[in-house]
Amino acid sequence: MRKVLGICNLHDSPKLGLLTEKRPLAAVSFLGRYGLIDFTLSNFTNSGIDRVAILASDHLNSLRSHLARSETYIQNTRLGFQRIVFNEKYFSSPKFNTDIANLIANDSWFKELSDDYIVVAPAFYLLPIDLSKVIDEHIAKGAEASVVYTKCSHADIDFINGDTVELSKDGFVTAFGSNTGRKKEKDISIEIFVFNRQTFADLISRAREVSSLYNIRDMVKYCVANKLFKLNAYEYVGYVAPILSLEDYVRYSFELLDYANRQKLFLEDWPIYTTTHNTPPSLYGEKADVRNSFVANGSVINGKVHDSIISRGVVIEEGAEVKNCIVFSRSVIGKGAKLKYVLIDKDCHVENAKKLSGDEENIVYVKQGVVI
Amino acid sequence: MAYKVVAMILAGGKGTRLESLTKKIAKPAVSFAAKYRIIDFPLSNCVNSDIYNIGVLTQYESTLLDNYLGNGEKWGLNGVHSSLSTLAPRQTEEGAKWYRGTADAITQNIDYLDAQDPDYVLILSGDHIYKTRFNDMIDLHIKSNADVTISVIEVDPKEASRFGIMAVNNKDEIVEFQEKPRVPKSNLASMGIYIFSWKILRRYLKEDDKNEESEHDFGKNIIPQMLEDKRKLQAYRFKGYWRDVGTLASLHEANMDIALGNKELDLYDNDNFLRIFSEDTPSVPQYIGEGGRITRSIANQGAIILGKVDSCVVSTNAIIEENAVCTRCVIMHGAKVLVNAKVNNAIIAPDAVVPSGAEINLNSDEIVLISGKGGAK
Repeated sequence: MRKVLGICNLHDSPKLGLLTEKRPLAAVSFLGRYGLIDFTLSNFTNSGIDRVAILASDHLNSLRSHLARSETYIQNTRLGFQRIVFNEKYFSSPKFNTDIANLIANDSWFKELSDDYIVVAPAFYLLPIDLSKVIDEHIAKGAEASVVYTKCSHADIDFINGDTVELSKDGFVTAFGSNTGRKKEKDISIEIFVFNRQTFADLISRAREVSSLYNIRDMVKYCVANKLFKLNAYEYVGYVAPILSLEDYVRYSFELLDYANRQKLFLEDWPIYTTTHNTPPSLYGEKADVRNSFVANGSVINGKVHDSIISRGVVIEEGAEVKNCIVFSRSVIGKGAKLKYVLIDKDCHVENAKKLSGDEENIVYVKQGVVI
Repeated sequence: MAYKVVAMILAGGKGTRLESLTKKIAKPAVSFAAKYRIIDFPLSNCVNSDIYNIGVLTQYESTLLDNYLGNGEKWGLNGVHSSLSTLAPRQTEEGAKWYRGTADAITQNIDYLDAQDPDYVLILSGDHIYKTRFNDMIDLHIKSNADVTISVIEVDPKEASRFGIMAVNNKDEIVEFQEKPRVPKSNLASMGIYIFSWKILRRYLKEDDKNEESEHDFGKNIIPQMLEDKRKLQAYRFKGYWRDVGTLASLHEANMDIALGNKELDLYDNDNFLRIFSEDTPSVPQYIGEGGRITRSIANQGAIILGKVDSCVVSTNAIIEENAVCTRCVIMHGAKVLVNAKVNNAIIAPDAVVPSGAEINLNSDEIVLISGKGGAK
């Protein structure tokens, strides 16, 4: 049986404006219930990868509270593990706090592991992908390293600044580029890599000689450019929600309200695991008017909620109108308040009769814990 | 705590009055209030009372219940000095026998209790819905120096003949016990919740075990015997919401209490820290569709509501399709109400399907049970 280590790489995650001011992208709430990292961790779980390291780059507390219990994601809690690793030395100097520096700082632990293959995946591409198939192809093609890419037909809107790949006829990457958004059709890297153990170790040690600022993604490009290994390209066919900016985050949140889209991300046999909070079911009052919305547990709703996403433990009082909004945990929307295109962070209190509105392009953001 | 309390939860009953709902599962494992199973309530009550060692006596169709209980992790009972043990009848040196009654279930587990070495044993039923801390009752038991303290609730005198009735003196000491009396001597009904001093209980169980005429039942044998022996039996007056959900109608009614926001059984009041713990499934948050309506109801994660729902309990992963109308329904986990179906006053069993266009129980106040894939039973 092959032994696989999954690495969820949180270094160099995109910033989502004020949403990631006090938390890492990985722990940003999504669809009322999830943290963005859940999709990657569930890919590991559903692909049978039970040995998982999470390379944390910042905001450790909020990450730890989301990942409080490894048994949420791990199948066997003795053989498997989920370990958060971070770089104590460079934690407060972002420039040098790279994924590679993190791996080197935790070298003694990684050396103990005896995995044959290493899968590295970021937390900002949301997709249901069976990684065991990627590893199968990696082995079948005798590759030292593989990258997952997708044929994107709307690269003019999505994956802006993402990596593009040029492919050889036999499906290896010949060159990387950057998606400037000028063309609709592009082959885009989704930055999921598979390495043979030795290839990975070589890549890390070589990085020291190249640049202390280089990360894994840079080193892969470097190795391809210098023909140090052949990089197999695995084509992923299916739904991807790239969360590269706050605009992406908002757009995909609302896009997934659509049942047809949702069914592409939440597959029947591909559960998304997440930390649970023992909240009661949601309670709907006599005046509740809820349409086309997600509601997480523990909410008490007695107002109008249209085309919105309501997280855990939110209270929407009588006469309040919430349209095209995203409301994070435990916020209260007071009587008669009217909100349109507003993103309310957790623990806020919107006072009675307050009116706030943004538009589709510019959502109004209300900071965590604010009374407004 | 200078003393130790072990709780024993009786969860072996067959629950025949719940019809096919309990055909394959024990009554305490029946779904309740969209997310929970009935036994979550007594278990959470124990945990909220700092009682961390609990035995669950199972017998009838116990597999699902055993699985659900697991190592007690759902209620936090997997920590140090905590334990949740499922105690089913088993083969012993003396042979093998089923639990012959509620008292016998404890008698057959005297070894378990001896190993736990408690000062007091709390006996509970696994199929009651209520939120409480047992601490006041335990304090009363200790202060009054009682041999057993029985939790009682005031019932409507007209209803009293349905219960085990306790007649008390002015110190709330029990002077007489009447099982379902024609002429009740008080309106204090036993809730089937007892705190015994373990040494006394152990003696009575041993005696009762030898008595061939006994039904080995707490209400019928142990309590009357203690009364006869002039033991000290204290009544503890319980205040608040408490329901025995042993029938379809009572199960439906208790579910409605939660859906309609009955303040007596408030699941949303976290100030009191009386939280009910349960299982959390990896389901998508509940989704209400463009044409969906949900009022005066509760719904759990995974529910998809595309039709109209009023005064309902919509459980995990239940689906109400377009133009379906559900009123006063308890829709259990995974059940589906297909397009254009109309259902009123029903309990829809787990994974049951109400066919499209079906009209069920529309003009009736009686509660019907819908199970299986074909509609009404």
